Amino acid sequence: MIVLSDFLILGAVIFSMGVAGILFKRKNIINVLMAIELMLLAVNTNFVAFSHFRGDPAGQIFVFFILMVAAAEAAIGLAIVVLLFRSRRTIEAADWNELKG
Amino acid sequence: MLMSFETIVFYLFAALSVFAALRVITARNPVHAALFLVLAFCSMAGIWMLLEAEFLAITLVLVYVGAVMVLFLFVVMMLDISLVQLRAGFWRLVLFGAALAGLMAFEMIWVLGSSRTSTGRVAIKHAADYSNTKELGRLMYTDYVYPFEIAAVILLVAMVAAIALTFRRRKDAKSQGVPEQVAVRKADRLRLVKMPPENRARQGLDSTEEVAR
Amino acid sequence: MNFVMSDLVPVLPEIFVLAMTCVILIADLLIRQSGRLATYMLVQLTLLGCSLILVGTHENRVIYAFHNMFVDDLMSDVLKLLTCLALSMMLAYSRLYLTARGLFTGEFMVLVLFAMLGMMVMISANHFVTLYLGLELLSLSLYTLVAMQRDSATAIEAAMKYFVLGALASSLLLYGMSMLYGATGTLELGALTQAIQSGAADRNLQIFGLVFVVCGLAFKLGVVPFHMWVPDVYQGAPTAITMLIGSAPKLAAFAFVTRILVEGLQPLMPHWSAMLVILAIASIVLGNVTAIAQTNIKRMLAYSTISHMGFLLLGILSGSIEGYGASMFYAVVYALMSLGAFGMIMLLSRADGFEADTINDFKGLSRRSPWFAFIMLLLMFSMAGVPPTVGFYAKFSVFSAAVNSGHIPLVAIAVLFSLIGAFFYLRIVKLMYFDAPESHAAISIQPDTGILISFNGLAVLLLGILPGKLMAVCAVSAQQSLLLH
Repeated sequence: MIVLSDFLILGAVIFSMGVAGILFKRKNIINVLMAIELMLLAVNTNFVAFSHFRGDPAGQIFVFFILMVAAAEAAIGLAIVVLLFRSRRTIEAADWNELKG
Repeated sequence: MLMSFETIVFYLFAALSVFAALRVITARNPVHAALFLVLAFCSMAGIWMLLEAEFLAITLVLVYVGAVMVLFLFVVMMLDISLVQLRAGFWRLVLFGAALAGLMAFEMIWVLGSSRTSTGRVAIKHAADYSNTKELGRLMYTDYVYPFEIAAVILLVAMVAAIALTFRRRKDAKSQGVPEQVAVRKADRLRLVKMPPENRARQGLDSTEEVAR
Repeated sequence: MNFVMSDLVPVLPEIFVLAMTCVILIADLLIRQSGRLATYMLVQLTLLGCSLILVGTHENRVIYAFHNMFVDDLMSDVLKLLTCLALSMMLAYSRLYLTARGLFTGEFMVLVLFAMLGMMVMISANHFVTLYLGLELLSLSLYTLVAMQRDSATAIEAAMKYFVLGALASSLLLYGMSMLYGATGTLELGALTQAIQSGAADRNLQIFGLVFVVCGLAFKLGVVPFHMWVPDVYQGAPTAITMLIGSAPKLAAFAFVTRILVEGLQPLMPHWSAMLVILAIASIVLGNVTAIAQTNIKRMLAYSTISHMGFLLLGILSGSIEGYGASMFYAVVYALMSLGAFGMIMLLSRADGFEADTINDFKGLSRRSPWFAFIMLLLMFSMAGVPPTVGFYAKFSVFSAAVNSGHIPLVAIAVLFSLIGAFFYLRIVKLMYFDAPESHAAISIQPDTGILISFNGLAVLLLGILPGKLMAVCAVSAQQSLLLH
């Protein structure tokens, strides 16, 4: 029998993988953007699961909006990646050294 | 019997999506990572089907995999990125990241897996003629019409932003200037030059005769 | 059709801004103009029109519209009005700076208006969906604006960092929201409070969600330990964009934080208050100490922002109406000071690409222009919290709110570090008045910018002497908006 917490655990595992993907930031920046997509996928799974087990469609509406914003975000993120590549000829995160923290 | 079928489907898709997600963050080639992300989305769409969110599951495959992931692949191929070189200190970072994320996952599972989360939560069974798409559509255009409009504005912003950021007029690009072509007059193209006749024809004939011999 | 005309009146300012933005987007292509002057005037007219509509449609009660997605109350009207004012000032200050760098384009102004729309949506959101969409509308516009200087590697790097950390913050916030939704079954702020108060909601999930929500909010506010993007973005972005990020969005951020934590999660106050204590103390300590070591004034002001956000949290974490009012006052004052300080940096920069962004560029300013040196002195005194400027009164009111709610050790540490922080503001004053100037180039100032920045500096002094009116407005707004439940 599949219960609510099974779906939530799946979401938690995928969310943590997304966080890990951002922390390995020596990889190139496109992978970081993909890790963010994974995190959003996990969030959406949570919403869908809660929505199903509560019988309330509001959660699914929220997922719809998150998907839409994520698409817009991906477009802008990739535009910035293209600019970064034009100015540097590389997109490796380790080469980000103009600004020192 | 039906229950066990659902269980099998859940574990199959869950395993697939976890495997795909793991490959997304570990693959060195960004093209592979993008393709594994497609696999993760598709298997998650299967899970959403299991949760009776048919509209969203199909949207995820059509819009997300069909449009957004293709955009990712376009950019990856357009930029022609060489494979990432492993650097000194990379593994330390991976270990740190993996440890932190593992700890986070453990804590999250511990909280979420506690039996209390799921008690009293049994999925509501819908009538046979219930349409998930129709229900979402009804809500979207009534209760959620205000956020829906803002969502449209966000898409407009994304469009303006992407054009403003990446569009550039190339200085070296060659294109046809039709109005200029039409407006051209004979004087612009043709120059009549007056010059004294030369005796080259005779010389040219001589040289060919030389070659012929 | 359950969608009525009366819903449209409270959102009239938003509708007006959106319609004008679309008109400007098209008109900018069609009007032949030099230096985008016509577009600029249209944008200023839009801001003026929006302010007039805000004042005209104001009603002294709380109005909910669109199935409780939208709320129109005194706090939202005041903050939206100030947002209009801040953006109008920001555009006036940065017109010449951006024109000289080829950035004063139609897209720039349209994106500023979209950002403003995002802020307005955030300020009057009453539902997780509208909160999230307003935040993203603002953030996406800001990421783009930072990257607009396409030939500058630093600006693009700053945009990328801002984007990645902003997206991470949104994900954390959404994860928290999903847990709160799971615990309570509602996405609307008022219903959320009722569900938590009724005790039916799952306690574990609530606290779990709250942790993620607070982390996401901390990222967006830029408080320690989620502050790493702030200095890089402030330094890397063109000064005009830094000014935009540092001013009006802080007003929206205040509304965003209080709407979620106070209107939505009031019953969990002991929990989030304890988390905010850690964030506030870390920000005040780290912000003030790190700022001392900076030589770039934009980076210094970034660390100063981090510490100011810590002070802002002091008011919210006290959990009283007095504290919320004091925090709102602090946000308004901070936006005013930040506009003045970045305006002064742009005033000293020149069309040939000189940015005036190191603190040495302020050396001997009193000999080059005694009046503007005095204005900068007022702004720096206010940031440091020296009486009689308004910065002193703002700090004093958050401290007194925190003391009244029993956070005495916390306030003691905050006072100590604000004294340490005064050092780096006063260092700029010392450079301006006691050091020899590095260049004697005349400062070329347009009359409109000069008058505006003089007003800005004098307002800091005047509000410090007579803070009563603004403070009363903030207190009443907080009373009306945040004590409903």
